[in-house]
Amino acid sequence: MTRILLSDKLDNCVARWRKAGLTVIGPVKKETFSSYAVVEKAAEFDLGLVLPDRSIKGLFFPQTEPMLEYTIKKQAIDTKDFAPPSDKRIIFGARPCDASGLAIDDPLFGWDYKDEYWFQRRNETVIVSIACTRADDFCMCTSLKLAPDSTKGSDVLLRPLQNNKGWLVQELTDRGREAFSQIADLLQEGSEPAAPTVVVAEKFNLDACVAWLQNPANFDSSFWKEISMRCIGCASCTFLCPTCHCFDFQDEGDTYSGIRRKNWDSCSFALFTMHTSGHNPRATQSARWRQRIMHKFNYFPGKFSVNSCSGCGRCSRQCPVDMGITETLQAISTLKP
Amino acid sequence: MTENIQGAHQNIYKPAIMKIVDRHDEAPGVRTLKLEFQNPADHEHFKQTFRTGMFGLYGVYGEGESTFCVASPETRKDYIECTFRQSGRVTSALASADIGDLVTYRGPYGNRFPIENFYGKNLIFVSGGIALPPTRSVIWSCLDQREKFGKITIVYGARTVADLVYKHELEEWEKRDDVDLVLTVDPGGESPDWKHRIGFVPTVLELAAPSPDNCIAVICGPPIMIKFTLISLKKLGFEEANVYTTLENRMKCGVGKCGRCNVGSIYVCKEGPVFTAAEVSRMPAADL
Repeated sequence: MTRILLSDKLDNCVARWRKAGLTVIGPVKKETFSSYAVVEKAAEFDLGLVLPDRSIKGLFFPQTEPMLEYTIKKQAIDTKDFAPPSDKRIIFGARPCDASGLAIDDPLFGWDYKDEYWFQRRNETVIVSIACTRADDFCMCTSLKLAPDSTKGSDVLLRPLQNNKGWLVQELTDRGREAFSQIADLLQEGSEPAAPTVVVAEKFNLDACVAWLQNPANFDSSFWKEISMRCIGCASCTFLCPTCHCFDFQDEGDTYSGIRRKNWDSCSFALFTMHTSGHNPRATQSARWRQRIMHKFNYFPGKFSVNSCSGCGRCSRQCPVDMGITETLQAISTLKP
Repeated sequence: MTENIQGAHQNIYKPAIMKIVDRHDEAPGVRTLKLEFQNPADHEHFKQTFRTGMFGLYGVYGEGESTFCVASPETRKDYIECTFRQSGRVTSALASADIGDLVTYRGPYGNRFPIENFYGKNLIFVSGGIALPPTRSVIWSCLDQREKFGKITIVYGARTVADLVYKHELEEWEKRDDVDLVLTVDPGGESPDWKHRIGFVPTVLELAAPSPDNCIAVICGPPIMIKFTLISLKKLGFEEANVYTTLENRMKCGVGKCGRCNVGSIYVCKEGPVFTAAEVSRMPAADL
């Protein structure tokens, strides 16, 4: 016997959580794209999406976020901090790959200096993931040694029932247990079996790729030029990526008052690394694509013991020139280390 | 790893406010600012953490922040000196700021030159152009406790006589009998009354021929100078582990998050900016 959440009770759950002061967020289809967005009713969820176009990252690390407000007076500068928001949130229907992406970035935002803008949101957000019963050709979690029912980064994992009437509830953390204690009476005991998770074929041999990337001789391989020839440097892949974390600061305002913002930035851009002198360590698009792949599968795991990729496939799915990590790693896995 | 000593629940991207108490023109377009902390807590944090080689982000609200070294030594922590070439938006704003104006500083960040490991050893400093400021922080840190080190040699060159920075200090070092100063300018950069060497830094270094025995080399300069200076030092018999340099990469956060200072797997802002030549030679050259 396990606990079951029935789909027809979901609206009551949303109402209950909202009443308890939680902001309820989930996959929502908008006119031109789908994303994780705030809802008032369960009917607004689109739980049939393979995964939303936009990743979950923006809810923790917004595309643009004010850090400081400054006012310059005669012989004084007043600065006001923008505190990270403290509202409590629950994300219902996250994909396991998106939830994993958050856990992957935790050590980065926390090494030595703790980025409170990230951790405040992490601490105040309950993530309820739903195991995948559908996938598309771009999904590649299994190639990253994750799975359609990975629990990494989730507070609760739901498994769709075979009869499609609800989900089996697997609480994973205290944060998840607390959120589900608020809807305890809406759950029921049941023995209905869960639907099988989708089979996502392994698209490349990660270990072989990593071995090739770790060989210093391959840093200067002509492979990088060939594979990235058609990259237009638009940065869509990095912005859609649930783990890409690079950012920039920009001051919005004038010499007297304004706001300093933290904005998404991307290693795909030439200006990203350009020195004042004009020297650019990553002067070509191939050097920038190499950096992205090396960072995700060689450097980042070297620092934090985890690949900076959760296999969501958005980089390939939405690339305007049909490139992506999958294609690159598939090609690498055929090369001699 | 060191704890974020400023404590929990605070904005790690918030800079300290600094007052410009002095400024000095070093060379055409190159200026030094002397900055004093306005908030005693910020100053205390600096005093406790700053060691020579560390860097900071200097800024002007409305323009942004730029990364450069702390040019003043760890033996003088009442103020911060920074030296920069007016080039982009932030440095132009810093250059147009007057004495008494307020600017911002975030840091100190990064690692340092382990000068206590240099005690009892001879030191040779090699630097070119606008790269003297980071070297100067180490030089004064050592000169302020002169008795702890052996022979000190400074080889410094610039494109032209006018481009030499810290001219008043070069004069001071030249007069000291416990410092060997070798000055040079690139061929064609000399003035009629120039009494020092003419030639590129690596060549002049080879002519000066410092002994590698019990000697530490600290080099800083443009990439091309570093490249050839490393070759010259190797010729002179220096081991890579005894040669230190500092890398300057574009940075925005300074604390290992924004992603742009990476050279290979190295986060220059956290694992650097100070590296031995042995460490640099393990980095992918194309990424430097």
